[in-house]
Amino acid sequence: MDVLENYKKAWDNQPEEVSKFSAIEIYKMAQSKSSSIVKWIFIIGILEFIVLNSLYFFIDMEEANKEYEKLGLENFIFYSQLAAYAILFYFLSMFYKNYKRISTIDSTKTLMKKIIKTRKTVRNYVLFNLGYLALVMIVVTIATINTSFDDLNGKQLLLITVSTLIATLLFLGVLWLFYQLIYGILLRKLNRNYKELAKLDVSN
Amino acid sequence: MQKDLETKFLSDFEQNQNIAHKICRVYTTNQSAHNDLFQEITIQLWKNYPKFRGDSKFSTWMYRVALNTAISLYRKSTRSIKTQDISDFAYKIKATDYDDTEEIQLKALYKAIHKLNDIDKALIFLYLEDKPYKEISETLGITSVNARVKMNRAKEKLKNILNP
Repeated sequence: MDVLENYKKAWDNQPEEVSKFSAIEIYKMAQSKSSSIVKWIFIIGILEFIVLNSLYFFIDMEEANKEYEKLGLENFIFYSQLAAYAILFYFLSMFYKNYKRISTIDSTKTLMKKIIKTRKTVRNYVLFNLGYLALVMIVVTIATINTSFDDLNGKQLLLITVSTLIATLLFLGVLWLFYQLIYGILLRKLNRNYKELAKLDVSN
Repeated sequence: MQKDLETKFLSDFEQNQNIAHKICRVYTTNQSAHNDLFQEITIQLWKNYPKFRGDSKFSTWMYRVALNTAISLYRKSTRSIKTQDISDFAYKIKATDYDDTEEIQLKALYKAIHKLNDIDKALIFLYLEDKPYKEISETLGITSVNARVKMNRAKEKLKNILNP
């Protein structure tokens, strides 16, 4: 006989839970707030949208616009911001749609897939923002160099370019690490479990 | 309408709560984590109850929601104790014709299950609960063939832990 059969008999004979919950206790529990991963992904996702977009409140826009005008970039900034907002709303609606689609009555694999997809929407938005930020920094640097080209010698030019590049990369790197940390902690278990189920389809 | 649904849910779940307790025992190792997970399972069951149409048994539907909660949604609370605290659970076999072999076996079985990964835990749990492969594959979202392959591997792992 299979060795597991013995254990299975013990399993079948295991007693019912001694501290069962009453209907009132169950009712109270059902009304309490969920603290699931999905909930956290939703909260953190919304926070990311808010934080990324409220950064503008910390910048003196009038002052910044004057600078942009001096560099002849006011059109670029205006249209790119317009596009950025359109893209923001696209991501927000996708995020909400994906979140709403998550359902515990799906199969385990589908459920995990949907959770990962919801998170990816926010990741893509963050990537888009980092990309946009990098683009603005590069454009501003080029414009600065162009407008004051005659006053600068080669050495200064190189210094400005290199230092801007390093500052941009550092800034993006720190943001990226911070981001990986948040979701790494939150989704390590989920990603591992998903891979466990997904790799089967590949190997068979 | 809401009141009827509530009453029905409470009676369905109260009768079947032992399934959830068993899942909590498989996925947690101390009482506070057990209660945490049980609460999250309750929330998920209630949230999805309006979508439960009764074309399957409540218990069948419950296996899926509860396992999904344990595998994908539940986050171990940082408060929970890391060490295996199995004595917290009451594994006592019914007092009549008392024989402690089964009690010892059951303890050893849970201890071994705790060493498996989340997916293997689900497979072994569904095997112990006598679920057919069709149901197992539908619950996990993998094909029947893959469920069999995976199940055999999980059983081998479990046997190796039980009898090294």
